[in-house]
Amino acid sequence: MTTEQIDPVFASALRDALVTHVKATRRRRFVWRWRVGLGMLAGTTVVAGGAALAAGLLSQPGAPVDTQLGTIVTATRTGTATINLGPVPGSANDLSLTLTCLSAGTFYFPDGSMSCSPADLRQPTVYRQASEVVPLAPGEDSVTIKTSPGASWALQAAYVHRVISPWATNARGQTYGVMNRNGSPDLVAVVINQGRLQGYVKASDLNCASGLDAVHTPAEALAWDKASEDRDISVPVYKSDGATVIGTFVLDDATHPGARTVPLSSLHLACEPPASSAPPAPSSPTPSTVTPAPVTTVQAPPTTSAG
Amino acid sequence: MRTLLTVEPAQGESEYWAGALGGDSEAFATVFDLHKDRVYRHALRLVNNVHDAEDVTAGAFLELWRRRASVCLVEGSALPWLLVSTTNLAHNSTRSLRRYRALLGSLPRSGPAPGASEAAFDDIEAARAAERLREALGSLSRTDGAIIALTAFEGFSPSQAAAALGISDGAARARLHRARARVAAALEGPSSGGTTLAAKEAE
Repeated sequence: MTTEQIDPVFASALRDALVTHVKATRRRRFVWRWRVGLGMLAGTTVVAGGAALAAGLLSQPGAPVDTQLGTIVTATRTGTATINLGPVPGSANDLSLTLTCLSAGTFYFPDGSMSCSPADLRQPTVYRQASEVVPLAPGEDSVTIKTSPGASWALQAAYVHRVISPWATNARGQTYGVMNRNGSPDLVAVVINQGRLQGYVKASDLNCASGLDAVHTPAEALAWDKASEDRDISVPVYKSDGATVIGTFVLDDATHPGARTVPLSSLHLACEPPASSAPPAPSSPTPSTVTPAPVTTVQAPPTTSAG
Repeated sequence: MRTLLTVEPAQGESEYWAGALGGDSEAFATVFDLHKDRVYRHALRLVNNVHDAEDVTAGAFLELWRRRASVCLVEGSALPWLLVSTTNLAHNSTRSLRRYRALLGSLPRSGPAPGASEAAFDDIEAARAAERLREALGSLSRTDGAIIALTAFEGFSPSQAAAALGISDGAARARLHRARARVAAALEGPSSGGTTLAAKEAE
């Protein structure tokens, strides 16, 4: 007779741990994007009543500037419910939403969903909260949150007027500023040295250093994962002229303690040229050597390119 | 009024997987619910301790998430990938699970760790057969071990195993033939502390 099932105590705890792990990893990735894309905005975003509403202090080109219109609507419900937000101010073009789970369950809101486990409920509020600013459809004056049966939640919502400032352009024709819903400029604003220094990294360098350009096949994906375990990749940080190097930005993707930091240029990766029509800076020739690491299928689980 | 629902509850595994890739932790947990017992049973074939099998099972799902961008579903299922991953993790669980040591150590267990044979089998002959099987599987290459796991134990076809391993159909069949012969030979011979296959290979 064989024991067919995993220890239920262990399995239950593992399940909770996986849920927490997925959330934490997802959150870290978001934080990374925030730091890379909107890092310049750190400390300048005004949080009003739990809804993240920028208040005109954002100076970087491309930054969204949200102006709250009217009052913040708060509501607490159990199960699927629709919250009426009142008359739509004339200049409103977006909705700012912050959803907090008050019980375990799954909550569906614009652009995705959020799940909370019993363990999450013991965490500080920020760990069971999701915020976003979504476009407002013409005539829309309410928001519906759908949930798994019996799940409780609290919502804070406000109409906002969002203006996304245009990216600036340097003498080389490169756009620079922060990432936003329109995409990425050629030079992406970052902060380094614990926030003491501001500068820009090339979007093409970021794509290359994060593997987006280097991975095309299952073998390359496997090689990239393997190589990333014990290395962090650094990319140059420039002034807005796209030529003067003022520091380095490290993408901390390594998972092994004591990882080494290697410059992107030393990897000789074959990366795509910048998507922009801007000419490449003369000081940063595009690497042209292709050196995918050899991989055999017996070393790790099977892989394929992400869809 | 607009209903701000963009993700409907998923129905099939591939939909759960799609939800997981989108960051839906509950969808990922559902994939865990679907496959945890089969992954655990396979781990139990490969390691000689229930706790180690639990750790390898946990490691397989943690790796599934870590490598999610490059996971290959076979006919909509992550199970083949998980079984291959389980085989790889069990080959060197101490090293491969190092990154998860703190998490694994924090998970509660029902009781002390009996040996796999002690926990899983209630007769001595079955326990000995399991031990021989474990020795045989442990002596195979990771790919060959994964092919045996997928085909002989989990009912996948050689073609599906090939897809899971990223090798050609012909290569999978050739490896399967060789692996079956080696396992059969190992099971026929006396257990000798893991040296049976090595001795046969030297012949």
